[in-house]
Amino acid sequence: MTIRLLEFIELAFRQLFRRKVRVILTVAGIAIGVAALVGTVSLGEGIRTQAVEAIRTQSDLTLIEALPAVEGNTLQLVTATKASAAGSLPGIKASAPLVRSTFATRGQTYVQVVGLPAGSLDDVLISRFQKGRGFTAGSNEVVLGASLGQKLQRYEGARIGDPLVLIRRTYDAAGRPVDNETRVVPVGIMEERGDDFDQILLMDLSFALSLGGDEGGYSGVLLRTTGPDQVFPVAGGIRALGLSPRGSFEQIEAVNRMMDMVVIFLGIFAGLSLLVGGLMIASTMITSVYERTREIGIAMAVGASEGDVMEMILTECAVLGCIGGICGDLLGILFAFILNTLGGPFLASRFGDAFAGLLDSEIALVTWPLLAGGLALAIGLSLVAGLYPAWKASRLNPVEAIRSGR
Amino acid sequence: MSPPMVETRQLTRLYPGGVEALRGVDITIGTGEFVAIVGRSGSGKSTLLNILGGIDAPTGGFVSIRGKMLDYTNRKALIAHRRTTVGFVFQQFNLIPSLTARENVEYPLLFSYRPASERRKKAEVLLATVGLAGRASHYPGQLSGGEQQRVAIARALVSDAPLILADEPTGNLDSATSGEIFSLLRSLNKEKGVTLIVVTHERELADYADRTIGMKDGRVVA
Ligand SMILES: Nc1ncnc2c1ncn2[C@@H]1O[C@H](COP(=O)(O)OP(=O)(O)OP(=O)(O)O)[C@@H](O)[C@H]1O
Ligand SMILES: [Mg+2]
Repeated sequence: MTIRLLEFIELAFRQLFRRKVRVILTVAGIAIGVAALVGTVSLGEGIRTQAVEAIRTQSDLTLIEALPAVEGNTLQLVTATKASAAGSLPGIKASAPLVRSTFATRGQTYVQVVGLPAGSLDDVLISRFQKGRGFTAGSNEVVLGASLGQKLQRYEGARIGDPLVLIRRTYDAAGRPVDNETRVVPVGIMEERGDDFDQILLMDLSFALSLGGDEGGYSGVLLRTTGPDQVFPVAGGIRALGLSPRGSFEQIEAVNRMMDMVVIFLGIFAGLSLLVGGLMIASTMITSVYERTREIGIAMAVGASEGDVMEMILTECAVLGCIGGICGDLLGILFAFILNTLGGPFLASRFGDAFAGLLDSEIALVTWPLLAGGLALAIGLSLVAGLYPAWKASRLNPVEAIRSGR
Repeated sequence: MSPPMVETRQLTRLYPGGVEALRGVDITIGTGEFVAIVGRSGSGKSTLLNILGGIDAPTGGFVSIRGKMLDYTNRKALIAHRRTTVGFVFQQFNLIPSLTARENVEYPLLFSYRPASERRKKAEVLLATVGLAGRASHYPGQLSGGEQQRVAIARALVSDAPLILADEPTGNLDSATSGEIFSLLRSLNKEKGVTLIVVTHERELADYADRTIGMKDGRVVA
């Protein structure tokens, strides 16, 4: 059976190359469609990969914060049980509960404060210090995020080791504002991280809890996954616990959502040109069947069944589609190559430093599944295009076909 | 006594326009016979041959091959009949232009799933039989009309069909070449014992046959 298919394929080549120009034109039609598809999708995938890679390298991807989900209008706190459940999800290396609150300084700078267990500076946040060190457990020592540290140093003259006063305004029973003052001692300034923690003042969890505010739970849980591959599974696990995950992985999700749309949209347009290729195949094969009417009649007279005739014509279509698909893949690769060698420097020179990364990376990303998909689509489309001509050929009346002068 | 190779009874073929191509044909052809069918143009010779070959169907009467009625409503049976029982030779342009002489001879075996090596060997033997051993890899366009018909005859023999049907196989050939083709048919009939039914216009060629059946207006005449 398969051997016969091979022979049919060989016959198909013979038949096709009797009409070289026509076949080349048809193949070119399919090839352009496939190349358009491969080109646009590879461009989309390349941009997606670039963006995701940029997020991966510029942000702390493996850090996730699990926040309480909003139920109705009230924000439920994370209970200790939930916090430990989140911390024991598979793929978590370390976790720490945290509380958030807001204070002001004497200089009217608003400061977001996060309380964390002292040990988690190293194993969850993995903080590095440009100055000083981390806080110790149970003390009133604090650590400043990079931007916050710069701001307080510049405008309020804050210095490492000098006490800093934090003010929290509450309201008494009569509704009058009462300012509670707390003295803390900055002992370190973190390096820039590129996330929210740059704006934050960090203190020990027990000290933060002693200042009041949130009661009976935590504002969230900070989680460190074992690696980048665990980030999305862990995010799913957090959602399953009824918490909502936050982190730089969300940017990757957003990029993926957007690029899915872009790739689908571009793919549809490229698909249209592939459709034109399919119509060309149908037209070529209808002509070919018409020209070979007598030949098909003779095949039937010497024993070809209707199925055999269909198989022969469809094999020719598949061969056309296959050649077109392969040529299209090659054209697509060429297109991607040109884009990568000429496009990168062009964009870099046009848009400057922001695109400098494009110089030594690929804008268009051609993958094996994409090439295989292009080829499969070309063959599939050719077979569909060939159904009508093949059916017509198989329905020929052998006597009339042989009598016809063609 | 074994049944005849071909037997028809009251065979009719009525075309939709009302043309009666066959009006009750009764013929009996024995195994190993070489029969020539002669008659004026339009007398129904081709129609009869096409029905015997299973590529056309009668509108009345029946055909039996070696004692078995041919069921024209059964597609599978008709295809099997074309594959194994009959070999066809047409007037001209019999061959597939994109295939070599040998491949043309092999062609029918492709549809009966025979292995390539067997097909190739058989085709080469038959090409030698019809005197074209040296032309196996030539394309039809590179062969003369007579050579093309020899290839077509080899193709008709390739399935070991016991019955060969030839519709004016020399209709487009000069008389010398026509004579050669008929003596080839004659010798194949003698050596291989195949039954031959050959339509021809020319009385002299009919003399090569054992017997002549005359046709006129869709009927057999003496
Ligand atoms: N498809 C058809 N529709 C209508 N009439 C047909 C058709 N095919 C053949 N005929 C008619 O049937 C009759 C017999 O035709 P057939 O081809 O069998 O004759 P023939 O004896 O082979 O003639 P020739 O020697 O010219 O080949 C003719 O009158 C022809 O016009
Ligand atoms: Mg005729």
